[in-house]
Amino acid sequence: MAAHLPDVKRYLLSGVSYVIPFVACGGIMIAVATALVPMGPSGPDFTHAPFLKMILDIGTAAFSLLVPVLAGYIAFGIADRPGLVPGFVGGYVANQVGAGFLGGLVAGLLAGFVVYWIKKVKVPAHLRPVMPILVIPVLSSFVVGFVMYRVVGSPIKGAMTFLAGWLQTMSTGNSIVLALILGGMIAFDMGGPVNKVAFFFGAAMIQDGNFAIMGACAAAICIPPIGLGLATLLARGLWNQEEREAGYAGLAMGMIGITEGAIPFAAADPVRVIPTIMVGSGLGSVIAMLGGVGDHAPHGGPIVIPVVDHRLIYVAAIAAGSLFVALVINGLRKLAARRAEEGA
Amino acid sequence: MNIVAVTACPTGVAHTYMAAERLEKVGKRLGHAIKVETQGSMGIENELSADDIAQADVVIFAAGIAVRNVDRFDGMRIVEVSVQDAIKDPERIFASLG
Repeated sequence: MAAHLPDVKRYLLSGVSYVIPFVACGGIMIAVATALVPMGPSGPDFTHAPFLKMILDIGTAAFSLLVPVLAGYIAFGIADRPGLVPGFVGGYVANQVGAGFLGGLVAGLLAGFVVYWIKKVKVPAHLRPVMPILVIPVLSSFVVGFVMYRVVGSPIKGAMTFLAGWLQTMSTGNSIVLALILGGMIAFDMGGPVNKVAFFFGAAMIQDGNFAIMGACAAAICIPPIGLGLATLLARGLWNQEEREAGYAGLAMGMIGITEGAIPFAAADPVRVIPTIMVGSGLGSVIAMLGGVGDHAPHGGPIVIPVVDHRLIYVAAIAAGSLFVALVINGLRKLAARRAEEGA
Repeated sequence: MNIVAVTACPTGVAHTYMAAERLEKVGKRLGHAIKVETQGSMGIENELSADDIAQADVVIFAAGIAVRNVDRFDGMRIVEVSVQDAIKDPERIFASLG
């Protein structure tokens, strides 16, 4: 396994390259559908727009394949064809247990290495034909599925309950610290369990008449995709063709409040991207909280501006957070590129 | 002749490997230097290196499905045959290479 560590980035990228069109397809369809319906107190209101609702559902279908495809092709990158089955199955289970895209990364890497190891086992010639169609898929899917349900899944549920309770106690304390934490949580896994805890906390507070929590979340929600999209526009040379296209899709998704638009970037380079967007979203949340921004709908991004209090500050919070993300990530990439050059 | 070949059948369990074996055996008997990559259900095995490909005079695809990574062979002479042909009558394939 240790010998594989330098290759992990290549494995992640091989998954990401297959995932980008899914993110773009789902994101754009959800964005278009959401943008064209009125924003109500319970989020986008599709009751009078069955056709747009269908477009939303198609986009959601593409999004629901995102984690399985990511995991499947990460495993494919490690173990070739036999990696596909446990990768897809593990990714699906990651969705089921609410482990989000980080769970998908785990499932994909695990599936790939499990198959890689099974392939190393020398089997008699007459057993060879049944290995790839029977033994490997069953055995590896069992191992990956077991780990995803029992080792990854159960603690996630416990951790989510704990985080939700923790936020509750935090809400009586310092609102700036709370905003910082909420922003970081929203960005951390981009639609995964941690993001959901923060989002649902904000949404629940709306019911209690506290719009500031959701205001902080709403700014944080759109900063990762907008910031990373902006980064690809500011320094074209630092990003390849595929990433620049993902950048456009990210900008569009950010406008509509779909944090998932940042996933292709985060999955390809988690160590640099995730901390950067957590700080960027935290910054946006703090500015929103300080400026008294309130969001009356359980949704984020510039699209909720009509139902937001203190709109200018809301826009400023998003702009500041996004600019921070764009400048920092480009700086980090420049640094990494220079270091790679010196090393070579 | 220096020959590289890729075999790939839809299930990728038996015929892929039978075709590879036949091509290799008969090719060597006829005095060719041949290396065969299999793209079966185990994925790519016995992968052709860039060197193998650069030194080859001709490429044989014995495939019933799309061959993966075909861009490796850009600009080369590619002879496409069925997996069945490679198993049943490899002599004729080699004869056709001229």
